[in-house]
Amino acid sequence: MGGRDATMVLLDENGIRCDGRKVDETRRIMIRAGGLKNADGSAYIEFGDNKILVGVFGPRDVHPKHMSNTDTGILRVRYHMEPFSVGERKNPAPSRREIEISKVIKEALEPAVMLEKFPRTAVDVFIEVLQADGGTRCAALTAASVALADAGIPMRDMVAAVAAGKVADTVILDVNNEEDQAGQADMPIGYMPSLDKITLLQLDGVLTPEEYKKCVDVGVKGCKVVYELQKKALKDKYFGNGGD
Amino acid sequence: MASVSVLDQLRKAQIIELLEQGKRVDGRALDESREIKIETNAIPKANGSARVYLGETEVICGVKIQPDRPFPDTGDRGLFICTAELLPLSHPTVETGPPQPHVIELARVVDRGIRESHMIDVSQLVIEKDKSVIGVFADNVVVDYDGNLFDACSYAATAALLTSTTPKWNWVDDKPALVEGEETPLPIATIPVSVTMGKIGSHIIVDPNGDEWASMDARITITSDSDGNICALQKGGSDGFTQDEINQCGEISVRVGAKIREKLKEAQKGSQ
Amino acid sequence: MDNKRKYVIPGDVVTTGPFRPEQNVILEGEKIISTTIGISEIYEDSVRVIPLTGKYIPKINDLVIGKVLSHTSLSWELDINSCYVGFLPAQDVFGRDFSAHADELSSKLKTGDLVAARIANFDRTRDPLVTISDRDLGAIDSGSLVKISPSKVPRLIGKRGSMIQMIEMATNAAVTIGQNGWVVVSCETPEGLLKAKKAIEMINAKAHVANLTDQVKEMLEIKDDES
Repeated sequence: MGGRDATMVLLDENGIRCDGRKVDETRRIMIRAGGLKNADGSAYIEFGDNKILVGVFGPRDVHPKHMSNTDTGILRVRYHMEPFSVGERKNPAPSRREIEISKVIKEALEPAVMLEKFPRTAVDVFIEVLQADGGTRCAALTAASVALADAGIPMRDMVAAVAAGKVADTVILDVNNEEDQAGQADMPIGYMPSLDKITLLQLDGVLTPEEYKKCVDVGVKGCKVVYELQKKALKDKYFGNGGD
Repeated sequence: MASVSVLDQLRKAQIIELLEQGKRVDGRALDESREIKIETNAIPKANGSARVYLGETEVICGVKIQPDRPFPDTGDRGLFICTAELLPLSHPTVETGPPQPHVIELARVVDRGIRESHMIDVSQLVIEKDKSVIGVFADNVVVDYDGNLFDACSYAATAALLTSTTPKWNWVDDKPALVEGEETPLPIATIPVSVTMGKIGSHIIVDPNGDEWASMDARITITSDSDGNICALQKGGSDGFTQDEINQCGEISVRVGAKIREKLKEAQKGSQ
Repeated sequence: MDNKRKYVIPGDVVTTGPFRPEQNVILEGEKIISTTIGISEIYEDSVRVIPLTGKYIPKINDLVIGKVLSHTSLSWELDINSCYVGFLPAQDVFGRDFSAHADELSSKLKTGDLVAARIANFDRTRDPLVTISDRDLGAIDSGSLVKISPSKVPRLIGKRGSMIQMIEMATNAAVTIGQNGWVVVSCETPEGLLKAKKAIEMINAKAHVANLTDQVKEMLEIKDDES
């Protein structure tokens, strides 16, 4: 993977991107359900060069008590990057970016989790980014859904995520780090496949109305591909080789 | 952390009963550490990294090497900073928020163990005296907890540093300029190994696991270098050691440390 | 797997049509969707999913193994491997005329003690109420605690207790199974104890395997000096 090069070709004349992919191709994705010994549920994902670990605890007692809700359980999400996960060493203290992403991921998962059945409890999702390379929030959200299922938290649907974007005036799927830095738009999308609902959506960049629709379309299709890998991860762990 | 996590009394009684017979719950000898698995280059984009499994305790250390300003009184030496963080996903009792005293102690003990051994020759990490030096940051994160984070973090940091490569910077136009394609290993002078021992009643055990950690009355972490000299030490816990016990622990740490040093050397060789 | 049972994950459509959604499924339009990882079962007029993961949800009359976390002058709090902490009032142990005295509770049960208890009452508006006032309940003073997933408890018990009886007979161990997935094993011999624990852990890891009973039987029959 080269460094940031202002003259890097993001899309060549054959429609091939800077890392050799076609415009509608995701990076290599590997998802594993489980793996942590103490967490109630966990998952690990590699999305391109992103390496992200998620641990879930709950439903469990809420401390301090005044934060609990008498009618429903609450969801808490912490997205955190390790100091060694990015190019220039990051201070361990939570940054504003991490706090915002924590909130966005929480709100992307809330439509899926069914916590009305667990009043006065909390479900804690801890996301740790070990290595970052563009699209961490989508990879994190994808792994978080798997970890929640692994923990046995009742969910209406899984949430799968990937970013659509634009480079060289072309709509692409799964924006990597170089494309995020030097490209024209980046649109992370989180999607529930069975309920057909988008629960995470952000945009950085400029899109015409047609490009906007195309990005959402390309993104949702990409999410369906990611969803199949979430399913495979859970089946591999729980159903051995006998999955339907 | 052990104070918040409640160990069941039957388990604790079992641990003590077996110790009276010179045995441990997982069949280890009193001076035997658990199996240590070291995977180097766990985080390829960092300058160096290692993932260490000590029994079911799991720690990842990532090393970042980048130009930095020297400390005011040591303009002819590079920086070495080692940290440790207990991730909330490692155990249900870990809270988020500012680090608690026992985590700060963990980080400082691991840092001192490596620093005081002079493992890294920081005099070779200067870009421009008094203006710019190379900063080496070894950050440990605990991913799963089953006792003895002191040793797990120490081994992860040491293995990561042994397999790290540093780029080269020249001083150009009053700032550090990266020289492409000139990566070299860090200047390593010795390999420090920490050995943590717990005291339960009058028994000294090496590398307490999670249940043993919760049953301990006191603990001691001793770091020795490649020459068999002791370079750092920390006693913790609310009971005391006799002088004899302290001497015994010193001897054990050098002996057991030598065996573990071979594992670290293997890991270093394996990644070349 | 006959076509009335299927492995499902959250969001999987189990079936469509006029079925009543029962445990762990929801109705979305015409679709009946699983809300958990598990095995779906379709009956004549209803659908449910048996979960393969998740914490223990207390049910009245369940036998559970609990661990004392703390106490006030009037009650103990027990960890019962659930989303909620078990509540054991002092009167359950000392009788109705009990009045609070300093330290009296820790004379009966102290922090870290394991107990066999029964769920006396539970609704989600308050913590589950437990009792230890039956003959087969109370503090556990010997044995080892083994933790399995609550969803594997039926497999560990077996049809009419066949699996657990097989283990107890082959190892001479006494096993108390909590519906909450916590199991206490005691045995005269350390070899028997180890074997019984191994069998329990095997069932926890391989509950989905078809010939599990045979595999466990085989493992139990290995002579001690061969294993």
